[in-house]
Amino acid sequence: MYILKNAWISIVRNKGRNILIGIIILIIASCATVTLAIKNTANDLIDSYVSAYDKEVTIGFDRSNMMKDLNMGDPTGREEVKERFNNIVNLSLDDVKKYADSDYISKYYYTYSIGLNGQSIEKAEVETNNFGRKDKVNTQTDFTLTGYSNIDAMSEFIEGTYVIEDITDNAWDIAFDGDYVFINSELASFNKLSLNDTITLVSEDSKTYEFKIIGIFKENEDSSEPNMSMFSNSVNTIVTNATSLVKITDANTNIKGDIHPTFIINDYNDVDKLQTEFYEKGLDENYILETNEEIANAGVSSVKNVNSFATTFLIITLIIGGVVLFVINMINIRERKYEIGVLRTIGVSKFKLTMQFVSELLIVALLSLLIGMGIGTLSSKGVSNSLLASEISNSQNKNDEINKNFGRGDHGNLGKGRGFAVVEAYDSIDAVVDMKVLVELLGVGLSLVLISSIASITSIQRFSPLTILKERS
Amino acid sequence: MKEILLSVKNVSYRYNDAEEDEYALRDVSFEFEKGKLYAIKGRSGSGKTTLLSLISGLERCSEGEIIFDNKSLKDINLDKYRSNDIGIVFQSYNLLPFMSASENIILSMDINGNKDKNKKEQAIKLMEKVGLKSSYANRRVLRLSGGEQQRVAIARSLSYNPKMIIADEPTGNLDKKTETEILEIFKKLAHEEDKCVIIVTHSENVCKMVDKVYDLDKKK
Repeated sequence: MYILKNAWISIVRNKGRNILIGIIILIIASCATVTLAIKNTANDLIDSYVSAYDKEVTIGFDRSNMMKDLNMGDPTGREEVKERFNNIVNLSLDDVKKYADSDYISKYYYTYSIGLNGQSIEKAEVETNNFGRKDKVNTQTDFTLTGYSNIDAMSEFIEGTYVIEDITDNAWDIAFDGDYVFINSELASFNKLSLNDTITLVSEDSKTYEFKIIGIFKENEDSSEPNMSMFSNSVNTIVTNATSLVKITDANTNIKGDIHPTFIINDYNDVDKLQTEFYEKGLDENYILETNEEIANAGVSSVKNVNSFATTFLIITLIIGGVVLFVINMINIRERKYEIGVLRTIGVSKFKLTMQFVSELLIVALLSLLIGMGIGTLSSKGVSNSLLASEISNSQNKNDEINKNFGRGDHGNLGKGRGFAVVEAYDSIDAVVDMKVLVELLGVGLSLVLISSIASITSIQRFSPLTILKERS
Repeated sequence: MKEILLSVKNVSYRYNDAEEDEYALRDVSFEFEKGKLYAIKGRSGSGKTTLLSLISGLERCSEGEIIFDNKSLKDINLDKYRSNDIGIVFQSYNLLPFMSASENIILSMDINGNKDKNKKEQAIKLMEKVGLKSSYANRRVLRLSGGEQQRVAIARSLSYNPKMIIADEPTGNLDKKTETEILEIFKKLAHEEDKCVIIVTHSENVCKMVDKVYDLDKKK
């Protein structure tokens, strides 16, 4: 008990120094409260935003692996690349099913695409003088038929790139089982087609296939990729189900299907293990697994930046605060060497003396932490929102500048790929000081006190009372 | 019947950084009885203060051993020994300057584990016992004279009623009259309160007033 009494007497006696220590801890506590509140709230926002996204894994080409050890400036190198590309075995539906049978995968879906030419309808294209080119000149067949395995696979509709304009009453009941299609509204106008009409398409080897139109969609201008055509990109895309297309390619081996599977996993950290499993199951090593993690995170990039700023700021504050407190403690100990000598001489143990010095700092620290918590709580909401507003504004300015460079004016958008155009999911953080923050702050405060007390603790262990008193004499 | 309280048996002390045969104190053996006043004398550098540090448990012997109340200092907790069994009085008083006279004495009682409520009254009684007015109780020790500070130091050393008082040149900074008064206090403590009082000194005047003198010069 006398330890606490002595500690309190020393605090009162060394008012100036303790007020200085108190102010330093107060500043650290206020900053730590704000930054911890921002960090925790931002993490919650990020988690809740990212968890709204399915964790998607797709299979893509590993271009760097394919180009490995090859010189693209050399014709032989280019030939070799071409050969490597041609040698890659296309994925089949059986492969996809085999890969999907994994503990890491919760569900999967796929799109299956084939190319067919028009027989009863014409491909939508117009000869223009625009750059001396015809629209879609590179397309080998007139139409691309994209078949979805189920509604989850219809990412263009989910993301809003395609929007249904008109649909039959039972369209969604039959859409995934039968020869039914959705066509682009521009293609419908071009060919004067409407719902329930039947279209006939033909393969390169002249086999014909009939489909009934059960829906008409249009491409959303806001979310589509920009092009220089009078038609939208998807004008000659015909949407159907994967089952019908697989039946076509199974029956006619001259038609090559292109499958794009999407696997839903539980944790992005499992991707490497999943990739190894895929390779073991026979996936060509020129394929690589890709995730939507970056896209999933893009909407909270500003929140993440604020979060990482808060973390850095917290670390710097703690380091500077810790060093300053350590130095003050060292000076404190040097000034109180005589007191240590006397107390040791009259029988105070090293442990009790250490407890007294640590208690002094703890009492001052706890008082300052309490006040600091109060200040931090009051200011955390304002500080967090102002940081986020400034971060969003910086990001927007960058985006506007890039758009201007491309001649798209202040309000243009370069699309997802550019990274700056993603609309921020949150425009406020509203950092909250909750029990978790308080516990963390207490942990941080106490750790700081203990670390800065190392000076006192080591000095007390090292000092010989007799030497101190001799020096004094 | 003589009752030995402290035995110093073949004690030698060498500083850590000293040469192998360079001793601050070599093969010293003394015995100290209860109820007697002793002086340990010697010239500067004879090892007086070193012996005091060893007896008070502030240093440990390099060789030999010190037995207090039938227990070797090697086997006991020296912090407890200093706060319960012995009182130490220094030439430079070693009081805490930011405390009052009574606070210095009460602190020593606290360290000893005294839980009494009336510690201030006990402190004032001790002050009166060593010839200090009770009105000095709340006075900062720095506002007291050297003799008064030494009396506070003696009162502090008596605050837990130790069996032995060790004093290092307690009158070294004091005038003749005060020296005599302080020595009278020590004499009373030995003869009337059965305490063993050891004074480390080089003063011949002190040596004349004690019951027995040990001369370190002869031991070197």
